[in-house]
Amino acid sequence: VPQLLLQVLVVGLLMGVVYALMALGITFIASIMKLINWSMGEFYMLGSYLQYQLLSRVFGPQLWFLAVLVSMLGVFVLGLLVQRSLLAPMFRYDQARRFEYATIITIALSVLLQNAAIIVAGPYQYAPKDYLPSVVVASLLLSLNGTRLASALGAALVLLVFWWFLRRTTVGLAFLGTAQNRLGAQTAGIRLQRVDMVAFGLGVALAAAAGALLAPVFLVYPTDGAVSTVKGFEIIVIGGLGSLPGAVVAAFALALVESFGSVYISPAYQDLYGFAFLMLFLLVRPQGLFGERERRV
Amino acid sequence: VRRLLAVGLPVALVLVALPFVLNGYGVQVATVALYYVVLGVSWNLIAGYTGQFSLAQHAFATIGAYASAVVALALHLPLPVAILAGMLAAALVGLALGWVTLGMQGVYFAIATWAFAESVRILLAVNYQITRGDMGLAVPFLFDSPDPTPAYAVFVVLALGAVGLNALLLRRKIGYRMRALRDDQELALAAGIDVVKTKRLVFVVSTAMAGLAGAVYGHAVGLLSPSQANFSQMAFIIIAVVLGGFRTLWGPVVGALVAQGLAEALRASAEARLVIFAALVLVIVRVYPPGIMGLVDRATALLDAWSTRRPGRARVAAASRPGPSP
Repeated sequence: VPQLLLQVLVVGLLMGVVYALMALGITFIASIMKLINWSMGEFYMLGSYLQYQLLSRVFGPQLWFLAVLVSMLGVFVLGLLVQRSLLAPMFRYDQARRFEYATIITIALSVLLQNAAIIVAGPYQYAPKDYLPSVVVASLLLSLNGTRLASALGAALVLLVFWWFLRRTTVGLAFLGTAQNRLGAQTAGIRLQRVDMVAFGLGVALAAAAGALLAPVFLVYPTDGAVSTVKGFEIIVIGGLGSLPGAVVAAFALALVESFGSVYISPAYQDLYGFAFLMLFLLVRPQGLFGERERRV
Repeated sequence: VRRLLAVGLPVALVLVALPFVLNGYGVQVATVALYYVVLGVSWNLIAGYTGQFSLAQHAFATIGAYASAVVALALHLPLPVAILAGMLAAALVGLALGWVTLGMQGVYFAIATWAFAESVRILLAVNYQITRGDMGLAVPFLFDSPDPTPAYAVFVVLALGAVGLNALLLRRKIGYRMRALRDDQELALAAGIDVVKTKRLVFVVSTAMAGLAGAVYGHAVGLLSPSQANFSQMAFIIIAVVLGGFRTLWGPVVGALVAQGLAEALRASAEARLVIFAALVLVIVRVYPPGIMGLVDRATALLDAWSTRRPGRARVAAASRPGPSP
């Protein structure tokens, strides 16, 4: 049935863009600061709550794209503050302890934010209005969920802007240079403290963008970021920790595998396949598909 | 020895006195606190002293609990045998997981153990024909009664035993090897330490401890559910250990007891308690990493100074103390 095949393919691609957003955020922070942000799902959650509040109080459902931008900005600023006050002191320690410090801090932060969300907003689910009505492409007999389409387009746009910023601006190249070699970047006159701070803010803003874009699809509740975080970790291990192209490619691969798997294979064990893949990659090819060794001086 | 007496004696006395002071509910709460004590000690052993930041300690406790339940329910063996089987199961799985993951670098090891723990939780929830999934699995009680006091006594022994084993390991060669490879793995390798073998050994001991605690806990509570393997459990272990003092012998004990005691004293909602604890951990890690045990060390140093009434010597004693990471 070609219609079904096409439908599954399109659903997979639409999810892939949003997965890429989340994974890119995790791997971007990892590439610059060499830490795993275990509270990524909570920044996703903050983005979705901000989006819901902005939609229902300030902008109204028509201006959802503006609300996404403002949500991203809000979480970006919060990310700057968190990095400055809690994570920047990790560089007092040596390599191994830095990682421990960051892990403890981000896990405690995730507990804090998640339970604070339950206290403030309650354990309820909120449902923002759909961004776009559903679209039917008559010539292909294809029906598309309008909100998924809108979130995929938004995510693609954010990805393109992010890509342009990293590749085509001097500031962006400073980030890439720092990711390749911190000492080298410092020697070239790049202020690492500032790069770290902005990188963390940008990374969590990408998670917030995913949360805000997907708010009407997966609803808004205190643990709504958990699923995306799990997918994000699987993606960055498959794509190679710290590799930006790897994250994007692996995001589409995972989304397509899931979308085909849930139609053609039983969905009960779906979550386990991802973990199995992750373990396999860690064992056989820990640098992932696109990972390269750090350039040392 | 002085440190051991300064902290261990009061802790042991309080633990023995508790069931005479508290009602049944209080003893139950104390039992749960001791469960976290054993998990905290076992995690501190591998993460604090050996530097392998495992995120699967709660999963090994769950494995021990379910393995013991299956042996008791399906094979009808007596509970002590079942509990030992649970501990053995956790140790064997720990051996296997350690075999494949302990060669990895820090970040990858943390992700791998996290993924393993999540897989355990999903497997338990999905195979509901055996585990009854989220409905929970009823298991036989220790000593055939839901009275919490005997189970509490067992846990006092377990907790003190765990601390004792930890102290013993630290005094042996392996204890020095653990800390050496944590502080500088390449130097440890150069000094002829079999780094991976040492890690594996400690990991198996640590997972066996967690499995034992989980198995006994299951029979003390009488009901198992896959939520025992939720990541929030691991987060609570980390919070308790850091609160008490990461990389200290008595830190996990003090941390878990204080956290559980505070939680009862506050009478706030579960969420509010967790917010407070998480905020406390952020402040401790950021400002004063030695935690409560650091404060205790300072207090004993001050007491020493006061009892000898020679302030000059006290200052020297305080400075020469091993500080936050012995």
